[in-house]
Amino acid sequence: MITCEEFFLEFGDYLENRTSPEVRKELELHVSQCRVCQVLYDSTCKTVKIVTESGSFDLPKSVSDSIIDRVTARLRAGPT
Amino acid sequence: MSFLSEVHLDDKFGPFVAFQEALGFVPNLLRAQTLLPRVIEAQAELESAGRLQEGAISRIQKERILLIVAADRQDTYCVAAGNRVLSSLGVSDRQIDDLLNKSRCENVSAADLACLQFCLKLSRHAPSIHSEDIQALRAYGFEDKSILETVFVTALAAYRGTLSVGLGPEPDFGPRKITSRRVDPPLGVACHALLPDPHSAAQKRPYLRAPYLSSKTFSIVQKSHGFIPNFFRSQTLRPDLLEAELEAVDRILLPEDVLTRTQKECILLAVSAGNLNSYCVAMHCNLLRGLGMSAEEGDQVAVDYHLSSLSEADRALLDFAVKLGVRFSEFSGEDIVKLRTLGFTEEQILECEVVVALNNFANTLQMGLGIEPDFEPPLGQNKVHLSAVPSPPMERGLVAPSLTGVQDPDAGLVAQAQAGKLEAFEELVRRHSQLIYRALVAILGDPVEAQDAMQDALLSAFKHLAGFQSRSKFSTWLVSIARNTAFQRLRGRKEVESLDGGEYEEDREFRPRQVKAWQDNPEQFYSKSEIRQLVERGILGLPTKYRAVVMLRDIEQLSTDEVSRQLGLTVPTVKVRLLRGRLMLREWLSPHFTTSVRRATS
Repeated sequence: MITCEEFFLEFGDYLENRTSPEVRKELELHVSQCRVCQVLYDSTCKTVKIVTESGSFDLPKSVSDSIIDRVTARLRAGPT
Repeated sequence: MSFLSEVHLDDKFGPFVAFQEALGFVPNLLRAQTLLPRVIEAQAELESAGRLQEGAISRIQKERILLIVAADRQDTYCVAAGNRVLSSLGVSDRQIDDLLNKSRCENVSAADLACLQFCLKLSRHAPSIHSEDIQALRAYGFEDKSILETVFVTALAAYRGTLSVGLGPEPDFGPRKITSRRVDPPLGVACHALLPDPHSAAQKRPYLRAPYLSSKTFSIVQKSHGFIPNFFRSQTLRPDLLEAELEAVDRILLPEDVLTRTQKECILLAVSAGNLNSYCVAMHCNLLRGLGMSAEEGDQVAVDYHLSSLSEADRALLDFAVKLGVRFSEFSGEDIVKLRTLGFTEEQILECEVVVALNNFANTLQMGLGIEPDFEPPLGQNKVHLSAVPSPPMERGLVAPSLTGVQDPDAGLVAQAQAGKLEAFEELVRRHSQLIYRALVAILGDPVEAQDAMQDALLSAFKHLAGFQSRSKFSTWLVSIARNTAFQRLRGRKEVESLDGGEYEEDREFRPRQVKAWQDNPEQFYSKSEIRQLVERGILGLPTKYRAVVMLRDIEQLSTDEVSRQLGLTVPTVKVRLLRGRLMLREWLSPHFTTSVRRATS
């Protein structure tokens, strides 16, 4: 079985589902037998889900419209 | 003497000893490279691993492949040498004649003829290789290891053939007559016999299985490329061949004492484009980005380097490389004289030729193994059209094609905005306002200041709109404007934290500390606004280089390739920073979500 260090080296691609089937199989085997890497994998997946679905840094439409309106008004007015 | 100067190397020089023992002579092809002993060592590694010993296919099978490919390329040097080697292995003159004669081939099995036909197809027009060709070999009893070795030897034939043309070595032996200009497809085997049932041959890539091999095996390429390309991962069935290739990369591509790494990557990019190898084009575009070349400039080198901003000398170097690597039948000693006239040294010309040889080796391997891309092709799928064979500009008329025609959903509005229609510009910035805002937050780390900076960024975009030439997507260009605006502000407060740099090693040292398990649905214990605040605080606490990548990938949900373009980083750098950023966020969120934390939804 691969070591935790080897698992960690492949971890980024594993999260992004970019590994080959053969490598993925090895990583899954490791996760199934290593408690620490299991926690790492599970909690990182949850982190990505939470961040992705958080709606963070949404610029409210009213604010966005206000900025764009100011800019276009300035452009319509021409060079000052 | 060959085209280039030579120096004396003792016969005890390791590679010479190896060839003397294996073949009974030291090929002049190696002696013609004595100006750079490290490149001889690289070739010797490749030949020792893939040619000079029995493997999954026999020595005779390998030498047959080398001979027939050399004959097909009208390479009299390699044919003469191959003829001698086959004779020394006990193959009769008549059998060799049969191989080179289209009309009969009685002493070679149907399976071996099928193999030779495959090798000729791969050598002549690698992009035409499909999974059906591999299935056909399997139908003849070839196992994956044998197929990998067959492809490797064909690639080695491309390496040797390229050097033979470029170096013009003295023949080691008297010439062997080659009767036809091109070797006809073998040779008593009907083509339909090679085609399997089309329904059983799925277009599956990569063609061969590749068992897991520890990342430590790839440390050379991890260091040089910043990641492990599929090119190497797809060859794990044969660690010995893989090791020889990694050594070749180490000895040919990494030293900068003759040509620079950027020059070598440009050679690899231009010749791969000439060979229509989109995998290698995408790879070298990315590596050039890591060396500081803009994405647009890299794309331009791939499509037509004559229109790039490379120096005149470097463009001439690429003309030389493309001629040797792609239009080799037109190559002559005069091409070397031209480079000398431009000031290139003998060592530089030799190294250029070796890089071209390595490129053709890699292009052949990639096509033969059906290796899947690591990255999107330049500017996205089907957006850069590689010309079949790049020609010098004078052969194409006065105006060569530029890198235009990027498929962009904004193109219509951009044209209207550039014609002065303010409403079109307004619509464009409304479409991309979230992206611009998040790019500004990512760099400034301050949502309030980002709103303020957004106005400056939009005014700047309008001011520079006429200069936008559709060499990238409009949204990418807008983000570059936002990025510059943000960095101007950071400079104003003297807090510049660059996004540049390829700190692969430093980044890889990061290790998570929190190892407590998380709850099953941790977000259920918090309200949406609490979660958002928690995430925002975590992201704003990240260093800029991680924040920028996490914001665009996980908040804005762009693809990794798109993030790399937006931020002007290589894909491997984006991947490393994304992982680290996510792990840092995980550390930040852990105390709130582990199983020991219990709280009711508020």
